[in-house]
Amino acid sequence: MSSGMWSEKYRPNTLDQIVNQRDIIDRLKNFVQEKNIPHLLLVGPAGVGKTTSILALARDLYGPSYKNFILELNASDERGINVIRDKVKNFARTAAIASPVSFKILIMDEADHLTSDAQHALRRTMEIYTKTARFCLIGNYSENIIDPIQSRCSIFRYSSLDEKDIKERLSYITDQEKLDIVDEGLEALYQASGGDLRKATNLLQAAAANGAVIDDVSVYSLLGSVRPDKIRDMIQLALDGKFLDSREALRELLIDQGLAPEDIIRITYREIMRHSTLTEQMKVKLSDTLGEIDYRLTQGSRPEIQLSTLLGHLSLVGEEKR
Amino acid sequence: MSNTQPWTHLYRPRRRADFVGNEQAVEELEKWVRSWRKKPPKKLAVFLYGPPGIGKTSVAQVLAKEHNFELVEINASDTRNKGNIEETLGKSVKQNVTLFGQKRMILVDEMDGLSGQQDRGGVSAVSKIIDETTSPMILVANTIEENMEARFRSLLRKVKSIEFKPVDSASMIKRLEYIANDQGVDVHPDVLMDLAMKSRGDLRSATMDLETICRGRKQVTPDDLTVIDQRDRLDYTPNILNKIFTSRSLLEARKTINQSMISYDDLFEWIYENIPIVLDDPYERLHALMILAKADIYQRRAKSSNYRLLKYMFDLMTGGIAFSRKNSKGEGYKEQLNAAILGVGFTPSMISTIDVPEGIMVKPNSWLGKEKWAKLNTSLRGIGASWIYGKNVWLLPYYREPQAKWRFIRTYHSRRRMKSVTKQLAAKTHTSSARVRNEILPLLSHMIKNNETMYDEVSTWMLAPPDKKLDYLRYMSIKKRPRDFANLENYAKHKQREMTKMIDEKKKEKESDHANIERWLDDQKKNAVWKKR
Repeated sequence: MSSGMWSEKYRPNTLDQIVNQRDIIDRLKNFVQEKNIPHLLLVGPAGVGKTTSILALARDLYGPSYKNFILELNASDERGINVIRDKVKNFARTAAIASPVSFKILIMDEADHLTSDAQHALRRTMEIYTKTARFCLIGNYSENIIDPIQSRCSIFRYSSLDEKDIKERLSYITDQEKLDIVDEGLEALYQASGGDLRKATNLLQAAAANGAVIDDVSVYSLLGSVRPDKIRDMIQLALDGKFLDSREALRELLIDQGLAPEDIIRITYREIMRHSTLTEQMKVKLSDTLGEIDYRLTQGSRPEIQLSTLLGHLSLVGEEKR
Repeated sequence: MSNTQPWTHLYRPRRRADFVGNEQAVEELEKWVRSWRKKPPKKLAVFLYGPPGIGKTSVAQVLAKEHNFELVEINASDTRNKGNIEETLGKSVKQNVTLFGQKRMILVDEMDGLSGQQDRGGVSAVSKIIDETTSPMILVANTIEENMEARFRSLLRKVKSIEFKPVDSASMIKRLEYIANDQGVDVHPDVLMDLAMKSRGDLRSATMDLETICRGRKQVTPDDLTVIDQRDRLDYTPNILNKIFTSRSLLEARKTINQSMISYDDLFEWIYENIPIVLDDPYERLHALMILAKADIYQRRAKSSNYRLLKYMFDLMTGGIAFSRKNSKGEGYKEQLNAAILGVGFTPSMISTIDVPEGIMVKPNSWLGKEKWAKLNTSLRGIGASWIYGKNVWLLPYYREPQAKWRFIRTYHSRRRMKSVTKQLAAKTHTSSARVRNEILPLLSHMIKNNETMYDEVSTWMLAPPDKKLDYLRYMSIKKRPRDFANLENYAKHKQREMTKMIDEKKKEKESDHANIERWLDDQKKNAVWKKR
């Protein structure tokens, strides 16, 4: 076995190595040939190669020392306006030295997490420093990016990967790593990944860790063991009327694991909408509650007290259901 | 005597004989001061503590005067950070005699106010000076803060502690009568009685009230008492919570904000912690939570626009909570207790409980053995109970301290480790910390669990010193094992032992089956060798 995460080891290094998203890759290659790129906005689902293609573009453009000319930021970690004012400006204002082209590339991953204040600050920055820097924004949804930024970028929409693409890539890796895998295992990995190649690769590596043959059973038991879903537990505890236990679960998420309150809201929303035993009326009611909490959090309220009102609502809903 | 001075100042004790109440404490202190005449006693400092207004500072000042010490005093009006304390006291500590041959005594007043950003390092500076001092040191503190002991723990080991108690009402009435007579005012005994009761042992505030009520009068009757309202006394937080949760009037509930000895921010956290425990009815609980969440909103608004908005927050977090309660019996703590006991496999019949004013005492009926005791202890502590040494029982208070803070402290190191690991992994995998935490960390820890070489591989890949940066992963993957192993090495050893044991057993099995044949074969071989030689 080799060291590190396979999702990195098997990340394509050059644009040529990227097998899917043909149209987009062709245009990106044109940019490299012309040695000039516009501001870019790459949108699409997770794990389809957005970050990979921009990293490959940078490598093709600048050569092996490409890391000196790019700055990678992740807006989900640094979503405030300060990051635009400090890090982005500092990077963008200086020209690229000893580089084949006159500009550097700033990669803002998960840009749809940027607050709207930060996006407005970014829009000016993009204009002022066009000479020395190009901005490449990456995100899942273009709706969350303000129009003025969209109009300054050429937008590339990545489509989700086919079953064939993912299975081929996984088979390639299993060949390289000399793994025992059966077709059911491959199918299970594809189903679990939901079209996300990075996730599929990571899952494959985890499934291969114990050295046994990879089949559907081993993949599903892996999924079972790595997903002790705390948020789902919290929701269920509240629905069962065990309010105090659900509050402890909330604290574990907020404090022990340091999950951002916004992320808890996001995942909770998804779980509630998917929940099989809640009626539609209940879901609408809970959506109202979540919306209010989500807004209050943006206003700087105490996350725990606001989120625990949700648990209170859930335990009342649970009571009504019983 | 000039009449413009406030009575509290005028009737401040000036001689040893002026003291009212706390005879034993004063006696003990004087003995300690006297012992300095010959040579420094074992404990170089005393720590006087007790509620306000009973003469702690005064007794120090009077004893210094009567035993001929020059008093060097610092109190809360001075900045008391490390540098400042060392500068002010350092000299006095080293030269214990003034120019005129008078000995010095050091008084550090209002120790409980020694905190915050401004007084950084203050407590440790005082603590250091105690080690070096050649002069007697008296430290004074009010015991209003509940967490005082924790803050002064290191200091308390070095000093002699003397507790001052509230002045008893008989002594206080006597003193108030003396003052009234001295001022030539005729005060009805019922009034004196009332003042003494209201002050709850605080002689200074009683004197102040007496002055207010006597001002401009020659005679005071019980009818004049309405002039002064009961001063807002600071009250212990559980009492405050009791008022909030049981109050039937907004005014009464609202008053608690001023009576609380903790800040309204902290009080807010206490209320939040206890809502689901007191309000067991899901509707009432939700109502109270929503009210409190609204109060939080008002606080944010107040901070960002105008502080006059705070009053709405106060109304909601006191009266709003009080009126949320209708049918709830307020016995959520009992449910908690039962769950905690059942959760570790005990039946309620194995445990006896006694209700006491501050909570419920929990005691096992018979000695459980160390392991079971520890299990029960963890479980009970989880719901806010504490073990009382000496009495050997657990006390589960009716109102629980905010637990989030403890969680923060408890998980500090693991959180820091996790943050550092996620940050590195995020940079390495070109994703966000959130994705690393949700997707990659669980998989990595699974990999390490199944393949221990993976740990070294990943840490090399991340260019991290293997002993340090990936600790969290190591911790995570091990924690989920059936037994809690301190580290991977121990686990590996344990596995090895298990393996050898297994192999040995297998061997034995084989032996019993093929014992005769093998022994015979072995013998044959040996014999063959022997023969060859």
